Amino acid sequence: MAVVRFENVVVEREGRISLQIPDLVLEEQRVAIAGLNGSGKSTLLRLINGLVTPTRGRVTVDGIDAAKEPRTVRRRVGFIFQNPDNQIVYPIVSEDIQFGLKNIGVAKSELPALAMKALSRLGIEHLAERQSHLLSGGEKQLVALAAVLAMAPATVLFDEPTSGLDLLNRNRVRDVLLGLGEQAIVATHDLGIVSAFDRMLVLDQGEIIMDRDPASAIAAYEARCA
Amino acid sequence: MNGSLNIPGHTLLHRLGAGWKLGALCLFGLILFATNHWIPLAIALAISLCLLASTGLSVAQARKQLTGPLFIVAFLMLATGLLVEPMQGIAVGLRLMALITAGYAVTLTTQVSALLEVIERLFRPLDRIGLVNSAQIALSVSLVFRFIPVLIDQARVIREAQAARGLDRNILALLVPLIVHVLRSADDIACAIDARAYPPPAPPRKRQVP
Amino acid sequence: MNTRDIVLIALFAAITVALGLAPRIPIAFLPVPITLQSLGPMLAGAMIGPVRGALSQALLVLLVALGLPVLAGGSGGLGMLAGPTAGFIFGWIVAAFITGMLCKMWIGQGSRSGQGKWPQVGLVFVACVIGGILALYVCGALWLAVVTGMGVMKAATGVAAFIPGDLVKAAFAALIAHNVRRAYPIELK
Repeated sequence: MAVVRFENVVVEREGRISLQIPDLVLEEQRVAIAGLNGSGKSTLLRLINGLVTPTRGRVTVDGIDAAKEPRTVRRRVGFIFQNPDNQIVYPIVSEDIQFGLKNIGVAKSELPALAMKALSRLGIEHLAERQSHLLSGGEKQLVALAAVLAMAPATVLFDEPTSGLDLLNRNRVRDVLLGLGEQAIVATHDLGIVSAFDRMLVLDQGEIIMDRDPASAIAAYEARCA
Repeated sequence: MNGSLNIPGHTLLHRLGAGWKLGALCLFGLILFATNHWIPLAIALAISLCLLASTGLSVAQARKQLTGPLFIVAFLMLATGLLVEPMQGIAVGLRLMALITAGYAVTLTTQVSALLEVIERLFRPLDRIGLVNSAQIALSVSLVFRFIPVLIDQARVIREAQAARGLDRNILALLVPLIVHVLRSADDIACAIDARAYPPPAPPRKRQVP
Repeated sequence: MNTRDIVLIALFAAITVALGLAPRIPIAFLPVPITLQSLGPMLAGAMIGPVRGALSQALLVLLVALGLPVLAGGSGGLGMLAGPTAGFIFGWIVAAFITGMLCKMWIGQGSRSGQGKWPQVGLVFVACVIGGILALYVCGALWLAVVTGMGVMKAATGVAAFIPGDLVKAAFAALIAHNVRRAYPIELK
């Protein structure tokens, strides 16, 4: 579990403030982030692993400034993107899993074993020698997750992980999310997968307008969107 | 598509190291250009053809890869023979075929990974002084392999969508959306790569600051 | 050279390979059917700029050297890099660089709203002709001259037969580049 801290964060794009978070601490096991498109969910997540740099203020993970030391932070914080097609960068699944391990300095001799371990954890070891482009959408998302989990992060960020998946695959991802030992911070429209979470933030136009337990947050959010 | 042109086997050429084969090929090339006389060139071609035959190549494969170049060489032989002089034309034909068949023999018997390793070793001194980055080269080679089938699928999807509008023969209607898609994906792919803590730790630099 | 640059370089190498897989168009009097593949270097230069464009083509040459069938018709391997068309293959690197350089100088970063559509397309067309045809053919003809001993002028005259087809391709490249830039402006590095 990592402690994520936002201090006086402002993100400006083209003269407009797209996200503003004066003070936020995330240390729960499971945090959901909801909000309409354009509300800033994605930006919030990307601040945590340094893909986006705040215009003012800072975001720290266990005290490390994500903007100043992104590579250190990225060893502790994994990121799962919406489109799994753009996350798998090697043509064979096992090679892709090994890519992240190489980046954190794992020795060449240990790569195959660790890659298989990561795949087995999600029950997809049979995909190890498959070609990446022949996988189904759900399989790709699971492979992307295995690749991230292989790096043993303390926290995993998910940006719309079930978007575009059919019901079967969406349920598989939901089950994996719930069974995850690592800390998970999930931005999603699919409120069904986060109803059992510990905390839910709702964003609107770049600001946090709700911050409470998921049950009441979902009810209030749905009332707003009705 | 996409298997390499390399064929499996245990012939002599297969067993030679990739570095030696490349070196020999370069030397061979230099010799071929050092002479214009048809006798040494014919001997060189004979050697190349023997090497090619020794690889265990099937006739069908040979036909597929060599027919195109053969036509071009024949055309050039004729052109050179007419425009310069006949002996030159013959020399050109012999030289080109020797180069092409020798190169093909090396390609057939050398695995992609072996060649990549040789290239990496060649680049390593440049890597140490920071001129070239072998991690980047390795990543970009993998990215190409990974995304060629994705591009082909995407092209097919676009074509089908355009066919519904009667635009399936229109190159613009295919390539513009395809390239826009590629550019958009590039941002996401780069983020995903960075998110996995790329680049890897740098190899130890030779020069140590005392 | 950041991660995004590497991705763009790899993707444009992949585009050039994919273009080679499109069906070739046979023309009656030419010994070689024309392929869409030579659009690759023009597009690479025009879309991602001289340095990245040239590197994308260099990556392609590397793939050919590794023995992958990435050239039109499923060809590849060291034989192709030593054969008569080698000058053209290596020339793609030069073509992308020059096309990109000229586009960068004349069109600048992103589209200038002051210029109308046709002047911009025209400039990119000229850039493609100078880079993707003139420079490319010089490279191709030079190698041919070396390999056949027939002299550059004769070699150049020989390859001139392919120019009309390539002019059409350059026009397409310019139109494609313009339309793509309207949808997604990108800097030329």
